[in-house]
Amino acid sequence: MLNKLAFRNVLRSARDYMVYFLTMMLVTAIMFAFHSLIFSEEIKQLSESSLILHVFIGMASFFVVLIMAWLINYMVRFILDKRSREFGIYLLIGMKKKEISRLYLRESLLLGTGAFAGGLALGLLLQQILLAVLYSMILMEYQVRLEWSLNCLLTTAACYGGCYLLALLQCRRRFRKMNIHALINSRRQNEEIRESHEEAKRLLLPLSLLFLTASALVLFFYKAWDIDTVLLFLVGLVLTIYLFYTGAAAWVICYIRKKGNGIFRGQNLFLLRQFASKVKTLRFTLGTLTSLFVLALLGCAVAMMFNDFQNQTLLKKWPFDVQVFSPDPRDDFQEQLEVLRRETRIKEYHTYPIYQNGTDTVNAWLYTHLKTFGSQYQNPDGTLNREKLEKDELWDYYEYDTYMALSDYNRLREMTGLLPVELEDSQYLLHLKERVWEETGDFTDELNLQGTRPEFRQSGASESLQCAGIRTEPLSQDGHNGADYLIIVTDYTVSRMTPYYGVMAANLEERAPKDLLRQLDGLSSPESSADFLSHKENMFMACGTDQIVVYAVENIVRDNLIPEVKFMLSSIIFALVYMGLVFVCIALTVLSVQQLSDSARYRFRYQVLHQIGLSRRELSGVIGKQLTCFYLCPILFAAVISGTIAIYLGSKFNFYTGTHTAAAGYFGIAFLLFLAVYLIYFTVTYVGFRRNVLSSDRRAE
Amino acid sequence: MEHYIRVCDVEKYYGNGAGAAKAVDRVSFYVEKGEFVGVMGASGSGKTTLLNMLSTIDNVTAGHIFYENVDITDLSENELSEFRKNNLGFVFQEYNLLDTLSIEENILLAMTLQGHGKQEILKRCQEMLRLLDIEDIRAKFPYQVSGGQKQRCACARALVNRPRLLLADEPTGALDSRSAQTLLETFTDMNRKLQATIFMVTHDAFSASYCGRILFLKDGRIFHELRRGEKGRREFLNEILDVLSLTGGEPANVK
Repeated sequence: MLNKLAFRNVLRSARDYMVYFLTMMLVTAIMFAFHSLIFSEEIKQLSESSLILHVFIGMASFFVVLIMAWLINYMVRFILDKRSREFGIYLLIGMKKKEISRLYLRESLLLGTGAFAGGLALGLLLQQILLAVLYSMILMEYQVRLEWSLNCLLTTAACYGGCYLLALLQCRRRFRKMNIHALINSRRQNEEIRESHEEAKRLLLPLSLLFLTASALVLFFYKAWDIDTVLLFLVGLVLTIYLFYTGAAAWVICYIRKKGNGIFRGQNLFLLRQFASKVKTLRFTLGTLTSLFVLALLGCAVAMMFNDFQNQTLLKKWPFDVQVFSPDPRDDFQEQLEVLRRETRIKEYHTYPIYQNGTDTVNAWLYTHLKTFGSQYQNPDGTLNREKLEKDELWDYYEYDTYMALSDYNRLREMTGLLPVELEDSQYLLHLKERVWEETGDFTDELNLQGTRPEFRQSGASESLQCAGIRTEPLSQDGHNGADYLIIVTDYTVSRMTPYYGVMAANLEERAPKDLLRQLDGLSSPESSADFLSHKENMFMACGTDQIVVYAVENIVRDNLIPEVKFMLSSIIFALVYMGLVFVCIALTVLSVQQLSDSARYRFRYQVLHQIGLSRRELSGVIGKQLTCFYLCPILFAAVISGTIAIYLGSKFNFYTGTHTAAAGYFGIAFLLFLAVYLIYFTVTYVGFRRNVLSSDRRAE
Repeated sequence: MEHYIRVCDVEKYYGNGAGAAKAVDRVSFYVEKGEFVGVMGASGSGKTTLLNMLSTIDNVTAGHIFYENVDITDLSENELSEFRKNNLGFVFQEYNLLDTLSIEENILLAMTLQGHGKQEILKRCQEMLRLLDIEDIRAKFPYQVSGGQKQRCACARALVNRPRLLLADEPTGALDSRSAQTLLETFTDMNRKLQATIFMVTHDAFSASYCGRILFLKDGRIFHELRRGEKGRREFLNEILDVLSLTGGEPANVK
């Protein structure tokens, strides 16, 4: 009998809490699909960086499980509250508490298992989509194949089951404490509206808005961020979010009490009261949901940034098929060329030294002017603080300014399909990374580069060189052709300088074989590639000031590296989207369930409105407005917060990586994606709500 | 002479075919302006169905209901809502107050829905609060006040728009005897002072004795009618009890 009762109750719960049930299915599906990326043998073989994917997805899963545990806990308690009267009646007719708690446990497990099974089926489909997206992101062909691994299933089940058991254990404790009277009356207690100190609480609204504005200012203008200030900032932000809702509810209540003009228009009084009472009772839930929305939106915005980087910058980052760095400027790269000849067909190649003349004028200027370094290497008079620089052992720039001979430069330009340039002995050309150029502009008038003019050839006296221009085409400037910049001078000028290190650039006739990079890396002695520090004593490879995505390696094989980097970036993007998606779904479920499960109470309110003269069409309008207010409040609030942070992060991202999308653009795309999911949930809730409320109305007619 | 409200041969069936149940069977009567009419009958006699049809929240199967010369059985859904808003006021056994609104706001809402101006709304609301003696509890929520106070708030809400007809469905059903008496006296006052036309459904003889005229309903038909005329309330109550005892009504409800 109890089994039958449990089964019937499950069917009813699945119907009443359809949105919850579907979301649990969806979350299981998403979790299973992402976990299958971790356990896929094929992906393990696909890339050396698959460990990164594991780590990121694993980390994301950790947060997803936390939030899922919260949702399950919230829902199990929520359903318990809603059904407490029913449980009270079970007690009244003689069932033991233990039996009831076992019945509820059985029901919850049945519901959970149902959602899990459905989720697995959906997960297999989602997995195919994910794999196809991943493969297309890293430019590989994907053949449809089901990834089925027991480990994946067990991990997903463990995450899911763990959350459920935890929530149910808590419920058992609640059951033990309750008595019949409390159970039967628990709903009634929830309905009471307690209003106290609203006037004082109202001040929390302007206070929280003030704090938010201050936070935004701190975000954009405060420079000395460290882990403590970040934590303080985040705690303050979350606190502000919670206070905002307490303040907003109190503010609306005070407005109504003061009889502001707005309440005398149409159904505003009803709507405002509904809103205030809902926000007041759910302020903590709404605060949590807003925080989740903020995280989800930020996650998606950051994912967009990396995706943008992947599409915009990565392809320009390495203009040659193969680049090799050698600390020995006289290296003829015979070993490397041999490997290339053996493994593939070389179209063209060029080996050349980079020169130095013992000066670091450009380095000093960049160390003291780039925003990346701020003022930390500046003496009070604006000159370079060499002592500090020495102590910090930076890898951004070489010890001396890096020069290249014009003939080598023109050869490289030719290899990348650019027209050659001309230069006189008294001139130099600055080749800057585009990103750095965007920050600095033309700063050559502040430089004093020395060279030897033709007329002084006999005497060898040096003279200032004139800048002939600045070029910003992609030229592999993460250490190979200089770090961030390169000074091009005529072959004559360069002949007076010291060769610094050697570089080879090659283009291939065909796509590079998969393990070409590994073979090239195999040529280097272990200490030269593995131990940068021991290496530094002689000659180290600088990497420029690019940040966030840095790939400073001696050997570059473009066709091998791009999929590798894309794979890493995709790992980050996937993990962020994974988290964002689950957060949004979970937060929206809570909003939906809150509204739908209350529709019985709303049905009564709308009936009263109908009796005092609102038509069905007007009622539909009021329902729409009520749901929109309730739905829009957390999303708009979250959008303002996450939008501000995303714009800040976007501008930083553009600054460090050289992407060009408007900072708000990243957020815009993330927000649109988010709205799409949002609209689905809103529509489902609106349709369900309207049906629940107005169907009874039709019966009354 | 045109009657204020005319109910002509109204029928109401629930279900269809052989299983159809007749709730109201060819009922005809009229209500004059400023009258306080009561409808009595046992459970299932069709009195609430009749009230629902009069109040436009249920439709007739056959027959017509005229408010002066408007036939509400001909009105569309939207016209009915508009008609309800402008002409009718409701008082129910379960009060039907909105629990999220304070006592005063419940009354304000009824007026804002009609689009009155702020000053007028506040003035009339204040009048009603004073008239029904609920000024002290205006800021309280329904769950914080007694049943009698809630019902007086419902009356205020029903009357604040000066409806053509006040419909009351067992308004004293959930009240203790003292509150019930206060409420019924309020009804009488409204009827006298404001010339409000009241149509009240009850199965309680004591409540019915406050009416000016009583229609007795049995199995969906009107089988008797009593007029109070110049009689005292006690005398009228006895008459009602006589009718009820004759027809097997519910004397158990007599207080």
